[in-house]
Amino acid sequence: MKALHSRVRILGLIAGAAVAAQVHAADPIKIGVAVGLSGANSTVAPAVVQSSQLAVEEINATGGILGRKIQLEIVDDASGAVGAQKAFDTLVFQKKVDAIIAMQTSAARNAALPIVARGKVPYIYTSFYEGRSCSPYMYVNAWVPEQQVAPVVNYFGSTLKARNFFLVGNDYAFGRGMLEFTKKFIEKNGGKVVGEEYLPIDGSDWTPVLSKVRAAAPDALISATAGGAPNVSLAKQLQASGLKLPYGNLAIDEATAKNMGDVASGMYMSASYLTTIDTPENQKFIRAMTKRFGAELKTPNELSEPQYEAFYLFKAAVEKVGSTDRAKVIKALGEVSFVGPRGEVRMNKSRHTPLSMRLAQIQPDSSIKILETFKEVDPGAQCPDLK
Amino acid sequence: MNLFLDILTTASMLFIVTAGLMVIFGVMKIVNFAHGALLTLGAYASLVVTQLKLSPWAGVPLAIVVGVTVGMVIERLIVRPLYRRPLDAILATWGLGIVVGQLIVFAFGREVQFVEAPIKGAYSVAGTSYSAYRLVLVPVAILMGVALTGLLSGTRFGVKTRAVIMNEELASGLGINSARIRFLTFSLGAGLATAAGTLITPLSSVDPAMGLPWLISAFMLVMVSGYSMISLMITCIVFGACQVLASTYASPVLGGLTISVLAALTLRIRPKGFGRG
Repeated sequence: MKALHSRVRILGLIAGAAVAAQVHAADPIKIGVAVGLSGANSTVAPAVVQSSQLAVEEINATGGILGRKIQLEIVDDASGAVGAQKAFDTLVFQKKVDAIIAMQTSAARNAALPIVARGKVPYIYTSFYEGRSCSPYMYVNAWVPEQQVAPVVNYFGSTLKARNFFLVGNDYAFGRGMLEFTKKFIEKNGGKVVGEEYLPIDGSDWTPVLSKVRAAAPDALISATAGGAPNVSLAKQLQASGLKLPYGNLAIDEATAKNMGDVASGMYMSASYLTTIDTPENQKFIRAMTKRFGAELKTPNELSEPQYEAFYLFKAAVEKVGSTDRAKVIKALGEVSFVGPRGEVRMNKSRHTPLSMRLAQIQPDSSIKILETFKEVDPGAQCPDLK
Repeated sequence: MNLFLDILTTASMLFIVTAGLMVIFGVMKIVNFAHGALLTLGAYASLVVTQLKLSPWAGVPLAIVVGVTVGMVIERLIVRPLYRRPLDAILATWGLGIVVGQLIVFAFGREVQFVEAPIKGAYSVAGTSYSAYRLVLVPVAILMGVALTGLLSGTRFGVKTRAVIMNEELASGLGINSARIRFLTFSLGAGLATAAGTLITPLSSVDPAMGLPWLISAFMLVMVSGYSMISLMITCIVFGACQVLASTYASPVLGGLTISVLAALTLRIRPKGFGRG
């Protein structure tokens, strides 16, 4: 009886081990995506989710990473700090994800970083932002002001021969930060800032600001407003004012520009990603997105496309080190590269990414024409203390 | 010259936006905090007009119809029981504003929308080119002011309304149906608010929260100017001028504060405002 019992137990152990081994082979790699499904980012979040889904499905269809499928864990960070804390607690400590790839507001990112540090999870941040956010666990594959401002100022300066610039923005962190940087950049490059004006973020009457622009008679105007309402009212009032000068908008995205119709006509913008980028990689990406999502497709944009690339960068890093060992993957993320819709992307400049930036002009028919591509625009020393 | 036009057009805009609130406050002595939501509603009326590909001018009559209808419903259901409780009326209309805002989000979405402007480009005035639409707002404001003054002082309705303003008990005693006067006035005020919403869309964006900053300025102006149309016009010109001057010579950030600061100062010195001496 005892012998039988122990034999059963041994059989049981063997069976259990076999099951465990099988589970281990099929054990998916979990990647967390935190995004503002509600709150300020809720307009862009669906596009971010779609490009994440496409990346995961493409990778899984071609054998996954090291033979393991990717399992996507999408959580809502409510576009803010409090939501992000909950979202990251869930991802790091409950779902125990192997990496986090997230497009978030700066407030959400800053709240998430301590949790990422406690969990020591590789974290790729895919939203453009004001720069200088550093963590040993974080990589950024989107632009910082150094990269976005340079094409506009350089194009205005060398192609349009503008010397005197007027800067206009909303009175808040992004507006002030962007224009402060822009001013330094213009002065470093031999231009002159003849005026700098801010309107409260809920203000809608730009009349006094435009009167000052008229009085200063600059060669070009550059704006960094809050997205949405203030951006639109400035564009409308600028057009109605009869002022004719090159106008570079640092806060506009492709979809808003298209929506604005002829109000945006002639406006210059600078972006790392535009749907009109004429490369085989981008055409393949757009085709795949259209095929996968059909009528549900949210037009890919500057905030959603880097999300797609980040999954491939993570895949390359895991394949390079041959495991999901977190410390090794984090180190490898700075060494691997991926040729995606925006061109070659390599997160090797103190955790940030040199990017090809496109200077584009919005045409009267609302299409966006890329006038010049600036290759490998350097993000500068964002995090000099990190390697 | 430019500065003068800035002042004139700013004052006109303030007057257009405030008139509807003023009419309601003048007669009912309650502040309609749903005014901001009504402005927004008017702006969405012009959005509908744009989407139907009608002439952008058609937005104004449509907005008035929508405003008057909505005003009638609001007065009947929400405001009427609260005449004797002005503080509760503020709360109720504020809440109503939130509800209207959310309904707009349900119907049209949260994003910024775009509306065709009836007049584009700039006119040349005394050597400087100036936004044509802003210039159009000046005669519109004057016309509105004259029409409202005429209505309140030159018609039977106006006489009854003023009687209700001055002494409601006495007016009722003389056989004036004060409930009816209130009903008509509220609907008129709501219609003016939605019309104003349409009129400001060519200058700003259309989104569910667009009415709020205007509501605050309008509220301050009404508090200061009291019950009279003339004093409202003067207040708009004086405060508008201060706002433009502060924005031009100091900074637009300070300019944004001007109306609130001036209103606070004025009410400190003269608690009843200008119009209630």
